[in-house]
Amino acid sequence: MNKVLSLDQAVSRVRSGCTLGLGGMTLYRRPVAFVRALLRTDVTDLTLLALTCGYESDLLVGAGRVRRLRTCYFGLEGFGLAPMFTQRATAGEVEIVEETEASLAFGLRARLAGVGFMPSLAWLGTDLPKVRPDVKLVTDPYSGREYTAFPALHVDVAAIHALEADRLGNARLIGNLGLDQELAAVADQVIVTAERVVEELSGPLELPGFPVTGVVEVPHGARPTSCYPDYGLDGDELLNYIDACSAGEFDAYLGQLLSSP
Amino acid sequence: MADATDYTTDDLMCTCISRQVQDGEVLAQGIATPLVAAGYLLAKHTHAPYVTFASAIGNVICQKTAPLGLTRVEELWLGQALCFLGFAQVVCDLLPTMTPKEFFRPAQVDPFGNFNNVAIGDYYHPRLRLPGCGGIADVTGFSPVVYLYVPSHSRAVFVEKLDFVSGLGVPTADRPGRRPGPRLLISDLGVFDYACGRMRLRSYHRGVTVEKIRQKTGFALEVDPDAHETPPPTVEEIRLLREVIDPLGIRELERMSGAQRRPRMRELVRQEKSREYREGWK
Repeated sequence: MNKVLSLDQAVSRVRSGCTLGLGGMTLYRRPVAFVRALLRTDVTDLTLLALTCGYESDLLVGAGRVRRLRTCYFGLEGFGLAPMFTQRATAGEVEIVEETEASLAFGLRARLAGVGFMPSLAWLGTDLPKVRPDVKLVTDPYSGREYTAFPALHVDVAAIHALEADRLGNARLIGNLGLDQELAAVADQVIVTAERVVEELSGPLELPGFPVTGVVEVPHGARPTSCYPDYGLDGDELLNYIDACSAGEFDAYLGQLLSSP
Repeated sequence: MADATDYTTDDLMCTCISRQVQDGEVLAQGIATPLVAAGYLLAKHTHAPYVTFASAIGNVICQKTAPLGLTRVEELWLGQALCFLGFAQVVCDLLPTMTPKEFFRPAQVDPFGNFNNVAIGDYYHPRLRLPGCGGIADVTGFSPVVYLYVPSHSRAVFVEKLDFVSGLGVPTADRPGRRPGPRLLISDLGVFDYACGRMRLRSYHRGVTVEKIRQKTGFALEVDPDAHETPPPTVEEIRLLREVIDPLGIRELERMSGAQRRPRMRELVRQEKSREYREGWK
């Protein structure tokens, strides 16, 4: 068996209107090369689902490819606000399904457990339920207490960047696991991009290959986000991006990014 | 140990955070919170050598430390990890029962310590959409060890009524419960508690008057009759912050305006790339 694909073959699994899950978190091990290749297609109307959204998601939002967002944090960490998200979300140009760590984590776990929801202490007393009327309460049959019932989440395609992978999709992630293991387990299609793809990896590994449907070798595939321990954040590039957006030059930045190899 | 006289507001905030840490406890650190990271490390280097860190960055548990970083911040956590966790494991299995101590930074906070990190203005037509509340709405309803910090105390942050409640303060008729609410709030002007059910000044920082704090707070401020000047850092605490914990001064970024930050960040990126610096802390 061989799951190795080209990057173009891998992004062709993403259809307009689908739910795309992105691996890694904030500015660490994000599938940036995958997103760049996706931006070269005409796929649009996406629901983007990620524990946290950063540079890679800001490109998709800035390019107008995202209809709906499901994340608990969209920003560039110490580098500040994500400029295009902040602009478009403030202008009401992108639909936000307000999420938190718990709604995403319990939602994925509900799907993994094959049940419709998971109960949690989260959100009780806050304003989150007001903007998420789809999230209901459930009564504990033993104590009678009320809990938040986070509904199961579905993901069509998950894209996860790894340090190393093999031809079967087994992958080494090291840290910043985020929701990568859960995304890989629930998604219909799981694409792993990796700094290097080898014949056969030996364990222990963070991601077993059986749910993986495509593997792509993409050196520097997370840049300018990091891929520990191979490379750290490219702080200059993140600042260049923020400067370009502040100057109203997102389109020019994106054009240049997509025309470079 | 002698009191320091040469210290910044950032140094004092880190010291106040450090002094809230007890040895042996578990400390959670969110993303983009270098004042908190520096405060935790200061505690580790002084009175709390056996604390354990649960860091969002890396999703790891650590006991060892490294200096603060901007582009190399992962090395602080991943390079020292005792164990790696998935985020769902942290959120579903650990936080509800382990309840680590955590310092949150509100974008808006009301007199009761409820706070907002979601949107300024009407939720559906915001004046400014914020990054989102991470896990704040998940844990502040039950955690016994919630702390708040505000790097720039102003009437824009301290408001009578929140635009959105994503973090819970002390129980009120509107938002009842059995949680204790935030233990303290540390700002760049002073230290506050909620012992009387509303935000109350406990100590004011050097050079700050009670009147100034009232002017910068958008609601009626309670003042503890025993309010006093915040005890200064010691000479040793300042040495640790400047030489060991954060020689680059990354903790200063949180109080900078956007216009100050970007050139400073360019400079920090350049310094972190420089070979001399990297060899210096390896």
